[in-house]
Amino acid sequence: MISGYLDGLGMVLQLGTLLAIAGGTLLGIIMGSLPGLTSAMAIALLLPVTFGMPPVAGVGMLLGALCGAGASGSIPAILLNIPGTPSSVATTFDGYPMAKKGEAGRALGLAIVASFFGGVASMIILSLLAPPIAEFALRFGPAEYFSLSIFGLVIIASVAGKSLLKGLIAGLIGFFASTIGTDPITGVGRFTFNELSLLTGINLLPALIGLFAVSQVLKDTLEYDPHERVKESTHRIDIARPRFLETLRHWKAVVTGVLSGSVVGPVPGAGGSIASLVAYDQTRRFSKSPDKFGTGYAPGIISVESANNALLGGALIPTLALGIPGEAATAVLLGGLMIQGITPGPLLFDDQGGMVYGIFLAYLVANFFMLLIMCLGIKLFIRVLTVPRKQLLATILVFCFIGVYGVDGDVFNLYLMLGFGVLGYFLNRYDFGTAPVILGLILGPIAESNLRRGLQSFQGDWTPFFTRPISVTFLVIAIGLLALTLWQNYRAGKQVSASQGSGV
Amino acid sequence: MQRDIGKPLFDLFLLIASAAAFVAATALPEIEIVGDLSPAFFPKLLSGLIFLFAIPCLIKDFREWWMVRSVASPTPQVVKVRSVAQWLFVVLLLVGYMLAFERLGYIISTASFTFCCVLGLVILSGVWGEQTMAQRGKSVLGALVFAAVLAVAVFYVFNNLFEIPLPA
Repeated sequence: MISGYLDGLGMVLQLGTLLAIAGGTLLGIIMGSLPGLTSAMAIALLLPVTFGMPPVAGVGMLLGALCGAGASGSIPAILLNIPGTPSSVATTFDGYPMAKKGEAGRALGLAIVASFFGGVASMIILSLLAPPIAEFALRFGPAEYFSLSIFGLVIIASVAGKSLLKGLIAGLIGFFASTIGTDPITGVGRFTFNELSLLTGINLLPALIGLFAVSQVLKDTLEYDPHERVKESTHRIDIARPRFLETLRHWKAVVTGVLSGSVVGPVPGAGGSIASLVAYDQTRRFSKSPDKFGTGYAPGIISVESANNALLGGALIPTLALGIPGEAATAVLLGGLMIQGITPGPLLFDDQGGMVYGIFLAYLVANFFMLLIMCLGIKLFIRVLTVPRKQLLATILVFCFIGVYGVDGDVFNLYLMLGFGVLGYFLNRYDFGTAPVILGLILGPIAESNLRRGLQSFQGDWTPFFTRPISVTFLVIAIGLLALTLWQNYRAGKQVSASQGSGV
Repeated sequence: MQRDIGKPLFDLFLLIASAAAFVAATALPEIEIVGDLSPAFFPKLLSGLIFLFAIPCLIKDFREWWMVRSVASPTPQVVKVRSVAQWLFVVLLLVGYMLAFERLGYIISTASFTFCCVLGLVILSGVWGEQTMAQRGKSVLGALVFAAVLAVAVFYVFNNLFEIPLPA
């Protein structure tokens, strides 16, 4: 492990890598502070830029974006009472009241330091937990990989869409799209329509950019109304001084946040808003003065922000160790790793240990850059909020175009991107969600090839898939989760009809 | 609950598309390898499942739409038309950008796309109608400068810094 860290350190401590991480963090902070733009979008837009970079620099840039976007949602939450990301909703509870009391700089300083502590702690947890999980996963054969893929797909489909069926449909659409191209075993062309670009299957990058960037821009275009402008913050802040001592004085809030984020993070689809709300609720419950929460109380901000960034490290555990991403942003990151030629999963830890530890360290460095950039550039990021939307939308679309075209100079990929963008727009609008589509695209080939390889080695016998302990465990959990979601939906439906009945 | 015919229509689209995909999958060759599944197995299974799952979604969404069909939408009609026009405009502009990208080269196509996108949104959002002649001139000039600067700056950054060649 130590030699792995030393190898990783050598990869990270290079000027190019450090600049890439800093650049990614800066972009992530900008995207995260703009309400409506997500960390998944930031990563999708950065993917093309990372092509020519060494893997650790490229992945470090993406992790920087993830880290920056996770922390900067607090800026509009504190200054304008508008959460930049869904996970910073709970930051508004105490952040905005504190800013209203004339202590906006203090609120930002606390939020930044808490995010930093959350990120660093989650990196430590990630580096401790991911290797043993990956080592355990080395026992997996085709049956286990097939079940794991189905498990990952089911679990994210059941939580990503607003209804279970719709989430499953979205996952199946992605899975179906992954069958396009040459069949991996027989070499038969499937749905290629004599299009050369489709012979190798759907390119992941246009799908990612289409589903997470173009679809979002299309949504913003539909909702574009220049008469609704974001009001400039009335709070004057030149620099947000990091509040290390004050944050450490509320160490219980930091620990609660880190624990909430680390526990919720690895659960696929659970997301940042749940982690931060859990952290806020637990901190208030165990506080000696719960009545102070909601009035601009420091532990309220600290617990939420440390949970937000602790969540990212937690979400990276299944992404790196098993190749199963926790939510949309890590799904895009997984796509980015694959484009870089890195296949996440247990073999990664065995084959490219140095690189894995390099990735851990890059995430740690990203947290330091986040701290530095957010403290120094707070005035700039507040201004970002007032950038006219029409210019912003046009710029994002241009970057999407160049990114997709830059992969291999194939115009067909641009059509794919637009197709996925329009599809993603409707999937989001009608409550299907886009994260399951990407999961289907990524996990589909793993599920199909492992099922078919397994069947070949078991002479066409299906029973090992349902009798091998690890395989059956994944399948049972997946079925259990499906049943639980159905039960919850049924109960929610009954409650709605009961409340409608009593209303009449 | 909002009145939106788009929901059941999208479900219907999924139903038709999955049926078409299933039919297309049946045309794939059946190749027998001992113990293996045919290349058509997964496409058939997946399109079949999408079809099956889309049926209850269609019924539920249609029923919801039917129940609230008489409720007046809170969004004024003019705002809705404006929003849809903006959306369609950007999609069509993107198609045009794709067609022009290699033919006209990166700089001209990108500058034209950006200019049209920014100015088009000003016009379609209704701001253009509220502006004086001087303000309109300022909007056009601003869009022109922005389009030119963005196209050239991005070209320089990608071509020289990231070494990603763009069509000249």
